[in-house]
Amino acid sequence: MLSPDRTVSAAMTPFVAAESIAKAYGGVQALTDVSLTIAPGEVHGLVGANGAGKSTLIKILAGLVQPDAGRILIDGAPTSLPTPHHATDLGMSFIHQELAFIPGMTVLQNILLGVPKKTRFGMVDWQAAAREVAPIAERVGIKAPLSASVKGLSTAENWLINICRALVRNARLIVMDEPTASLSAAEAEKLFAIVEDLSASGVAVLYVSHRLDEIMRLCSRVSVFRDGRSVGCLEGAAITRPALIEAIVGSAVAPLAVTQRHPVAGRKIALTVDALARAPKVNGVSFELRQGEVLGIGGLVGAGRTELARLIYGADRADSGVMTLDGASFSPSNPTEAVKAGLGLVPEERRSQGLLLTKSVAFNLQIANLANIVRSPVLPLIDRRKREALSLEIVRDLAVKTPSIDTPVGRLSGGNQQKVVIGRWLLRAPKVLILDEPTRGVDIGARGEIHRLVRELAARGMAVIVISSEPDELPDLCDRVLIMVEGRIVRALEGADITRNAIVEASYFVGEPPSRENTI
Amino acid sequence: MSMVMSGGRRLSPSSKAALGFFARYATIIGLLLMIAVFAFLSPRAFPTLNNFTNVLNQASLAMIIAGGLTLAVIVGELDLSIGFAASLHGVLVTGLIVANKLPIPLAIVIVIALGALIGLVNGIIVTKAKVNSVIATLGVGTILTGLAFAYSAGVPIVAGVPEAFLQLSLGRWLFGIPNNIIIMAVVLGGLWILVERTALGQEIQAVGGNPAAARLAGINVDRIKILGFVVSGMCAALTGILLASRLGSGTTSAADSYLLTAFAAVFLGSATLRDGEFHVLGTFIGVLIIAFGFNGLNIFGAPTFSQYIFQGAILIVAVGLASLGRMISES
Repeated sequence: MLSPDRTVSAAMTPFVAAESIAKAYGGVQALTDVSLTIAPGEVHGLVGANGAGKSTLIKILAGLVQPDAGRILIDGAPTSLPTPHHATDLGMSFIHQELAFIPGMTVLQNILLGVPKKTRFGMVDWQAAAREVAPIAERVGIKAPLSASVKGLSTAENWLINICRALVRNARLIVMDEPTASLSAAEAEKLFAIVEDLSASGVAVLYVSHRLDEIMRLCSRVSVFRDGRSVGCLEGAAITRPALIEAIVGSAVAPLAVTQRHPVAGRKIALTVDALARAPKVNGVSFELRQGEVLGIGGLVGAGRTELARLIYGADRADSGVMTLDGASFSPSNPTEAVKAGLGLVPEERRSQGLLLTKSVAFNLQIANLANIVRSPVLPLIDRRKREALSLEIVRDLAVKTPSIDTPVGRLSGGNQQKVVIGRWLLRAPKVLILDEPTRGVDIGARGEIHRLVRELAARGMAVIVISSEPDELPDLCDRVLIMVEGRIVRALEGADITRNAIVEASYFVGEPPSRENTI
Repeated sequence: MSMVMSGGRRLSPSSKAALGFFARYATIIGLLLMIAVFAFLSPRAFPTLNNFTNVLNQASLAMIIAGGLTLAVIVGELDLSIGFAASLHGVLVTGLIVANKLPIPLAIVIVIALGALIGLVNGIIVTKAKVNSVIATLGVGTILTGLAFAYSAGVPIVAGVPEAFLQLSLGRWLFGIPNNIIIMAVVLGGLWILVERTALGQEIQAVGGNPAAARLAGINVDRIKILGFVVSGMCAALTGILLASRLGSGTTSAADSYLLTAFAAVFLGSATLRDGEFHVLGTFIGVLIIAFGFNGLNIFGAPTFSQYIFQGAILIVAVGLASLGRMISES
């Protein structure tokens, strides 16, 4: 992958250089003596565990946060970035995990948001604007017409629009934060091609990702952060998975052992789903889930997996189909009923759907467990000592890194936030727990812990469904994996057949829909 | 996220901490300063137990209606019907006692039940028909005003109001403390326990904090929101009853102005102690600020119009402080 011209010579003036940056929030030192240089046209990787300081550095480059010490040089000249505007003017563009769009506007209007536009008689000349933008849109591969509304476009297309927006502003550096987090494999491939194209045309990319395969494939240099310090910059052939992991974690770790899968055939059935459907995303799904089983649901983004989870959980009503839970008929009309019946859901979007960000860790842990922490059912006053004890227990068991249980959960890192959402359900010990993308945006350490936790819950007899878009995740974790394509289950993998390749292959399944019974 | 302080101005950690302190305690400091200034300027009339009791007595009705509104805003909705509803309730309770000769306790129970029903209607319109709460409660409130005029033909019910009903508000049945204050303390204390100490209160806070997450955590969001409106409606009814008792008459539009006072108090309260979150204790302090402000203006003989200016200005300051607190806590 590495061509000689992409390696960076020390003599070249970097486009961006951050020197000895330090930043503290309150009493917490987020960055200490961090340095980073990005050459023109370079694809520079930035990796590190959650909380390592990546986001803080990005915010400093974006002009959102001011460093306490250190300096930023652009083209060798010291500069200050008091506002996001300055960063944009200097040629830096930032694409975040949560993409910001104005939903009522068209693709073109969103691309040109904040860019001075040509006017005729005081009115924006949209046709002229479209003529200017069209070649750039084509270059990055935006399929939707520029006049279309951004509402309903896929995450992948939103990414392309953001890249286009950066190019329209003549960006010389595009910072991409977890770009493939919600892209399918095919969409990610397209993105990689665009990144390489950008690099070839002299636009540098700062590529921030937990996905080491992508880092190894795309980046000519990789900076690694750990605990707010830059611990090294790997270059060229030195960028290997073990080297990266060692730098991220701080010591060489053994790769996660493939989990001991245990046969579940003899166990009691916890949940049956029969021909469950809700147009257009879920088109007749049937499966059985046994106690103590970890069932993976793989497939591409948009295959209907999250929608299936919402149907089972009662968050949406099914058009048709029946379910049983522990042998009894089960048709929740809302999540309240599902939770009462013994279900739990760790939703895909933990910040918007899983957590109350301004509320404390204890509040978030106990919110589904209130019946168990009241003094008496007659006078439902919260027993605060019990609340505290139970919360501390979960925080300890799950190794949630938080200053206290009274800290607002929004201040924790992604992995720790996710542990809080999972911990909430541990307190209730549901019969069936559904985890939707449980390790998205979570660092390697926390990811391993979450996986261990899932296996432990299953070992205690809980039936677990794990939805994941990462083909690498399911083989580590699951006893059985179902692959969904276009709202149907097209393949069931078991035992040694659960491999990355089998999952990826089945995810791209096209052709005849599976047999009519569709029962797997 | 941290777009907050963009626009050139940056905050060092220490100035952020100072601003955060200011946002949380400005209302309380303001209240104490105001009391100190009034006490200094008018050492005879202002800082007396009698005057303080009087202020608290006067403020009790606003505290009850604002306490109810607090529940509605905690669950993330606005209830604009409360002032109009309280006016109707005042007319109705007098009417039931004077014209229909109902026993006073029965009349009170009926009117409070009606308040709950109005809250229920508000809640169902908002949660089930998905009408924005501003529009829904404004509509319901306007209808209630119409009903109040229809019931009383616009003529205040004055004659024949029994002394016993007047004593409800004017009496001092316990330790010489005015009844209004006792009723207010019971209502606000109850609301505080409900929100801060009960399981239901945790759900109420969750629904206001993030309805989507609350729903997926198994909370019946619609039911909690309806509950918020019902509590708001019942408190409005109680305020209407006590006002009729204090005025000795059922007068259409008598309680309308409580709407603005309640809103100002609730937002002042959200800027108090917590970063832009509504809470019952905050609302109590919010009403105190307004009440002492009015009292001071009165003592110094400021013209009536100045009260409007004071209240409007304080509402804006309150909302500003609340959003400052929120920004700082989120940055």
